[in-house]
Amino acid sequence: MDPVVQILNGFNYILVLILVAMGLVIIFGLMGVINMAHGEFFLLGAYTVVMTTRLGLGFWAGLIMAPILVGALGAFLESVLIRHLYHRVLDTILATWGVSIAIKQGVIIIFGPEGLMVEPPMPHMVTIAGVAYPAYRLFIMAMALLVILFTFYLFLKTDFGLGARAVIANPKMAASLGINTRRMYLTTFTLGSAIAGLAGATMAPLMSCDPHMGLGFFIPAFLAILVGGAGALGGILVGSGVVGGAQNLISAIYSPIAAQIVVFSLAIIIIRMRPEGLIGNRSNG
Amino acid sequence: MLRVEGLEASYGGSLVLQGVELSVKRGEIKALMGRNGMGKSTLLKAIMGLVRIRAGSITVDDKPISGLATHQIALAGIGYVPQGREIFSDFSVLGNLRLGLLRFPKAQRKMPREIFDYFPVLEERQYQRAGSFSGGQQQMLAIARALVGKPRLLLLDEPSEGIQPSIVQEIAIILKKINQETGLTILIVEQNVNMISDLADSCSFMEKGRVVYTCSIEEILADETIITRHMSV
Repeated sequence: MDPVVQILNGFNYILVLILVAMGLVIIFGLMGVINMAHGEFFLLGAYTVVMTTRLGLGFWAGLIMAPILVGALGAFLESVLIRHLYHRVLDTILATWGVSIAIKQGVIIIFGPEGLMVEPPMPHMVTIAGVAYPAYRLFIMAMALLVILFTFYLFLKTDFGLGARAVIANPKMAASLGINTRRMYLTTFTLGSAIAGLAGATMAPLMSCDPHMGLGFFIPAFLAILVGGAGALGGILVGSGVVGGAQNLISAIYSPIAAQIVVFSLAIIIIRMRPEGLIGNRSNG
Repeated sequence: MLRVEGLEASYGGSLVLQGVELSVKRGEIKALMGRNGMGKSTLLKAIMGLVRIRAGSITVDDKPISGLATHQIALAGIGYVPQGREIFSDFSVLGNLRLGLLRFPKAQRKMPREIFDYFPVLEERQYQRAGSFSGGQQQMLAIARALVGKPRLLLLDEPSEGIQPSIVQEIAIILKKINQETGLTILIVEQNVNMISDLADSCSFMEKGRVVYTCSIEEILADETIITRHMSV
């Protein structure tokens, strides 16, 4: 494959990885909840597209519906389950892991265990630097970039973000100032879920959709957070860049298995040398 | 305005408040004194809903607030300046102050002019990182942050702690001025007798989780043994 295509594919992967990692890290930063079902939110986003294409509504309807449906599911889970487990890290891991299994099995029951394909919504190619490149991949990159910028803007520049960062830094003090921490948790959990659903929907036409596809993004996203650091939002960019970049580059040069080995080894070394991640400490949110 | 009746609360496994009776009149500055570990800070935390209450009631203007979530208690008109100030040190000074405004609808989130009149240093340094402030400036910021939310009752927990005496006096003067100009009711936990005698109208002493003695500030100034009786170890 042409190196330009390789690089563009790498960026594509990294940007989607950032989307997935962003949802995870926002939920972890705010609520201390490690959401093991985050990969399945991605999965449900992809299957929303599978569903709408089967129903004849087409891909684009699925792309719009995925964040709404998955966000609503996130809101539901937050209010009936996760809300009661705050500050019990192990319990939230178990509970969300249970949710992830339930979602996977549910998908198997409804859609079957086999891989499903979604028709590419934008089949034409665009010429970049002398090589033909799928227009749809460019669309994903642009959209991911927009969502990332929007999320950073939301958390760093708006009043909502100011309140959210205050809740991250000191929830009791934030509440003492009249900030409704419960509602903040619900909003951010919904937002994080919706972004994961959107990421899944965008990737559906590029992958074979099977009930285990969530893991393929959950694990690298998790590694990206560990490598980059869970405290600062900027850490996800670096972490996703390192993990996603290495994964793609080595997959292209050698094999996906070699890439897995290198990425995991790299993560172990970085976490060993800088336990707080490449960027930062917890407090600079 | 504030009435605490038969309040019991435990903190860290032991019953720290054992039937507290306390009332604060509208417009009054009341000091809450006593030795360490007598439950003064826990009482303020219990009022803010930060410590779970086992028994008793807390009312503000005859409306019960016990059992409400902390943010609802804040919205009921209570401002809280905790021990150690707990400012958001990575945020700017303005960011800290704006947090106090988030409770209002978007259109009403305007910084009240009086805040900067009372604490000019906060206006001069509004873009500075709050963590770079001295202890005294951080205390002023924490008080201003609580006042931005327009409380009717302000709870202050050891505002003089770790602050140089001249600034303590300055803060006491500003608080007195705010109290006189706006009628803000203040309940202040404090060990610093000088600050209390400058500031307070009346004083309650806590011992072993109960309020054991209440008197006016004039009585304390007239009879020093009141302080030594309740404060000396």
